[in-house]
Amino acid sequence: MEQNSIPSSKVERAMRFVKTGAQIGGNYIKHYSKKMVDPSLSKDQLHEDNATDVYNALSELKGSALKVAQMLSMEKNVLPRQYTNKFQMAQYSAPPLSGPLIVQTFVKAFGKTPHDLFDTFNLKASNAASIGQVHEATLNGKKLAIKIQYPGVAESIKSDLKMVKPIAFRLLDMNEKELDKYIKEVEGKLLEETDYELEYKRSVEISTLCATIPNLVFTKYYQEFTTKRVLAMDWLEGFHLDEFLKTNPSQEIRDRVGQAMWDFYDYQVHVHKAVHADPHPGNFLMREDGTLGVIDFGCVKEIPEDFYYNYFALLVPEIMKDISVIKRIMLQQQIISKDDSEQTQQIITDAFVRMTNLLRTPFDYEVFDFGDNTYIDKIYALGEEVSKMDELKKSKEGRGSQHALYINRTYFGLYSMLNVLQARVNTGLRDWAKPLVQYHLAAYN
Amino acid sequence: MKATLIQQYITHTLEHNQTPTSVYQFAKAAGMEEQAFYNYFSGLEALEMSIYEQWFSEAYIQCAASEPWNGYSAREKVLAVFYTFIETLKPNRSFVKFLKDRDFKALPKWPSYLNTLREVFIDKMKSIIHEGLDSKELAERKYIDEKYVDGLWINFLFILKFWIEDTSNGFEKTDAAIEKSVNLAMDLMGKSALDAALDFGKFLFQNR
Repeated sequence: MEQNSIPSSKVERAMRFVKTGAQIGGNYIKHYSKKMVDPSLSKDQLHEDNATDVYNALSELKGSALKVAQMLSMEKNVLPRQYTNKFQMAQYSAPPLSGPLIVQTFVKAFGKTPHDLFDTFNLKASNAASIGQVHEATLNGKKLAIKIQYPGVAESIKSDLKMVKPIAFRLLDMNEKELDKYIKEVEGKLLEETDYELEYKRSVEISTLCATIPNLVFTKYYQEFTTKRVLAMDWLEGFHLDEFLKTNPSQEIRDRVGQAMWDFYDYQVHVHKAVHADPHPGNFLMREDGTLGVIDFGCVKEIPEDFYYNYFALLVPEIMKDISVIKRIMLQQQIISKDDSEQTQQIITDAFVRMTNLLRTPFDYEVFDFGDNTYIDKIYALGEEVSKMDELKKSKEGRGSQHALYINRTYFGLYSMLNVLQARVNTGLRDWAKPLVQYHLAAYN
Repeated sequence: MKATLIQQYITHTLEHNQTPTSVYQFAKAAGMEEQAFYNYFSGLEALEMSIYEQWFSEAYIQCAASEPWNGYSAREKVLAVFYTFIETLKPNRSFVKFLKDRDFKALPKWPSYLNTLREVFIDKMKSIIHEGLDSKELAERKYIDEKYVDGLWINFLFILKFWIEDTSNGFEKTDAAIEKSVNLAMDLMGKSALDAALDFGKFLFQNR
């Protein structure tokens, strides 16, 4: 059995981060000394070096730190691309739990060993998730997937996040107050994710609600084998995105999968107003017939009513034409504040309108081709430009509602997955646009 | 009968907040002649020692009878024994705590009531270590490999103490402590950088 040792105590973990901080400093020195010799040197190598060190530090941690790495890797627009490539590797492997600990977890939860509960149970994990691992079992001829959480995850989340903070400063260029608002939101979500009973409830709820969406497949969950740290479901067959693409699916099949994914999100956001906010490749299983399996409902973002009306209003062109409405929305979303100078307000508003227009592009078309790399590249480029804006950087306050964090992440995840999938999707505005228009134009005029 | 006496001893201790003071009193309360008591134990100290030994043996038997046991590596066997033992202690946590508060010396010393358990522990761990040496999972090192078992004993004391002081939900932190400490111990006993270091040290020593 091969296992890397996991730094355990808070002190050890803190040391890891201190070390990384020092290394990043070192990389900068290296970069600038090289640059003195060769002025044409770009910052690419520097970013790459930094990302490697941060990644190495994070990959020795489990649980929440790994999850934060995932979050960062999703926020592509904020980070240079070199970071993202490294972080995406963090989405897969983590050192496995020992067989005896699995047995112990079952004995504690059910008073029985897994071999007593199921006909067969494989003590070797078939998949690792960031806060747990998945085991294969059979019961009455059926193949089951049993997800088991690492012990002590919930307890270590808070201290982990405190330690991620200094690194996040460096990476995200945010001040402490700004960061705090978001860290709280992430912390809340991460703690929710450690509660498999809650995940069970949400899984059943969302799969029932979305049952009628074509080509979307959910699995059956077992309440009797579910506790805070164990979740049992029928095994769902399918490929993760990378493997799926290796099977050379036809354009038609890719479109079908992409459409199912789009409809899934469209329905959750606009009808259910709570959304599976973890769209990374590990949570979807794609099948050769063009159907899409969805697993892992650990991260669900509930969308508050007033946030919904203000955020999604921006998808509707009619609303975007009216600058006074835009201003009102930006104030509500805390993107600009009354304390900002006239000029700052104007600069931020302009950038915001450009950004929004770019991000809602798919909604302007009946059918949108996500395989079009120029579109995704434009998002990255604008994202990097915006993150460098002095008006935003110097701001003492957080820009943007904390609710937007997970919603943005969801859409970035969705767009980039559809991009990798090269899918053409029916994306146009749907019935949900009407209430939004009414809310903003009718109510106020 | 032994088991009944043990149970009575525990109950007495918890209800009076002190261990029975003499065999006479204890036997009387248990409704037996003092003389009859000596058929089972040579004294109260011996009884106390047998409590932990009993729990450990129970845990070990339970492990060895479990389905995956034969397929386990040495590392997994040690882990399984530790987990199961801690599980066995749970119904008696108050008593365990009481004894710990009365006396639990700083590591690597241990209180006398663990002496009998230690004998059984050493015996069982030795055979697991042998299996590990045979399968090359653990590294043979002259003189040092005889000390492996003492390392596991210290590890065991550490876990026992950790669990008694653990206040986390469902003692999850103890689980993590077992996982990490046993993995470390087994890594050290396996072929590792340690061998290269020893080898290098020997070289330096011989070529001074």
